[in-house]
Amino acid sequence: MSEAGDAKEPTETLILPAEITDEMIDHCRAGRPNEACGILASQDGDMVKVFRMTNATLSPLRYSLDPKEQFAVYRAIEGRGWELGAVFHSHTHTEAYPSPTDVRLASEDVPYLIVSLADEPPSVRAFRILKANWTDQEGEIKEVSVSVLR
Amino acid sequence: MAVEVRIPTVFRKFTGGSGAVEVQPGTVGSLFEQLETRYPDLRGQVRTPDGQLHRFVNVYVNDEDARYLEKLETKVTEGDTVSILPSVAGGQA
Repeated sequence: MSEAGDAKEPTETLILPAEITDEMIDHCRAGRPNEACGILASQDGDMVKVFRMTNATLSPLRYSLDPKEQFAVYRAIEGRGWELGAVFHSHTHTEAYPSPTDVRLASEDVPYLIVSLADEPPSVRAFRILKANWTDQEGEIKEVSVSVLR
Repeated sequence: MAVEVRIPTVFRKFTGGSGAVEVQPGTVGSLFEQLETRYPDLRGQVRTPDGQLHRFVNVYVNDEDARYLEKLETKVTEGDTVSILPSVAGGQA
């Protein structure tokens, strides 16, 4: 069975405006050779802004948000009456599917978008990582359908 | 006036969906004790069983990282805002 086949069938759809998708992919391309990461802000369920963020790990295999920058972005999101909509990061050479590291370190209860730069054009998929306790090493991967509005 | 604690999405299932909770002033540690008393399922999520801040949690008192202040002993007064942030990380390998 392929990795992708292990994910639960999607029951949720994430609608991404084209400009949001394009900016996210642009940020991921610009971050090469390292992984890139960021946050999408939402308003009433609609994704409204891409926050391009620093990969504090500076690695082609790992990412982590810089805590200070994360705090500033969360403040900005709250200040505008928005919400944390999704977290995104790139996989530079593997498919857009959560790795064991992605599952182990998943924290926020929002969709995790993965942009695979192994594909051209890059593929974008989204997942929720379901864990009984956020510090659990393992969890259930549930795919979220991604619909790009073009 | 109380102290506002900002709750990240991952913990909102323990706070009835609330993204902000008001508690009484004290220290950061006493704030977590109040939160854990009010929301028992939160126990063990932000702090380890021995009472320390979980290594993947960052806590800000207003604009300052509590780790660089006095950690759980950091004083919090009326009108302050305390933000709990889980670290966000991962990667393909």
